[in-house]
Amino acid sequence: MNGQDARAAVHRAINQVAPDVGPEDLEAGARLRQDLELDSLDFLRLVETIDTSTGVNIPERDYPQVSTVGGLIDYVTAHG
Amino acid sequence: MSSRLVASALLLKATALAAKTVPEVNGFYLDDGFRPSSSVHLGVAVALRKGGIVAPAIHNADTLSVDELMEGLRDLVGRARAGRLQRAEMADPTITVTNLGDLGVDSVFGVIYPPQVAMVGLGRVMEQPWAHNGMLGIRPVVTATLSADHRVSDGLRGARFLARLDELLQKPEEL
Repeated sequence: MNGQDARAAVHRAINQVAPDVGPEDLEAGARLRQDLELDSLDFLRLVETIDTSTGVNIPERDYPQVSTVGGLIDYVTAHG
Repeated sequence: MSSRLVASALLLKATALAAKTVPEVNGFYLDDGFRPSSSVHLGVAVALRKGGIVAPAIHNADTLSVDELMEGLRDLVGRARAGRLQRAEMADPTITVTNLGDLGVDSVFGVIYPPQVAMVGLGRVMEQPWAHNGMLGIRPVVTATLSADHRVSDGLRGARFLARLDELLQKPEEL
């Protein structure tokens, strides 16, 4: 998947899980847990939403790679 | 995908089973005294994303499988955050759990929601060096606390509850 589509998919998924997070919060370095305040259930929903919308399944061992908005976009780009 | 769990689901199941075995922590203290509950309706403190907290119940949590409990938790948190809880869910937890592990908190001492008589606090599940039977290993460890109403229970019963919780969590595959 190209970077632009991945970015759009990630932004859409975050917006679905946490509608109160504004586009200005979605910098590449923003940490999902600490900065966007997603808890473990939100994170799980995010992973599932990404899987449904892009077909990219993120196994648990790869969670450290997707702890930031940028990391998640890169992951979806590489695996989509 | 839907079969993924968060650690909370196991902790909640163990808490519900432990509450079932210690009636003095599960029920309501009303004008005419303590009324133990034969069912465990497990209140789960859920932070709302815009601030504030609610603690609706997962009904009959002790009878649900871990997968069902996980689904119940997912459903409850989703609806709590969307402002779509039902009145009964808000009103009838028989014991409540507050789980601050996600925030990196090691242990939490909760305040009981009257008319309930107990609150269980769960911290973060973390890997720790742990000595057992003369051997040192690395294990996932969580600190659980119990706040209990002394009109109904005492240290012995509280200890019994926590010991049962410990016992149940040693065999998560059997939950």
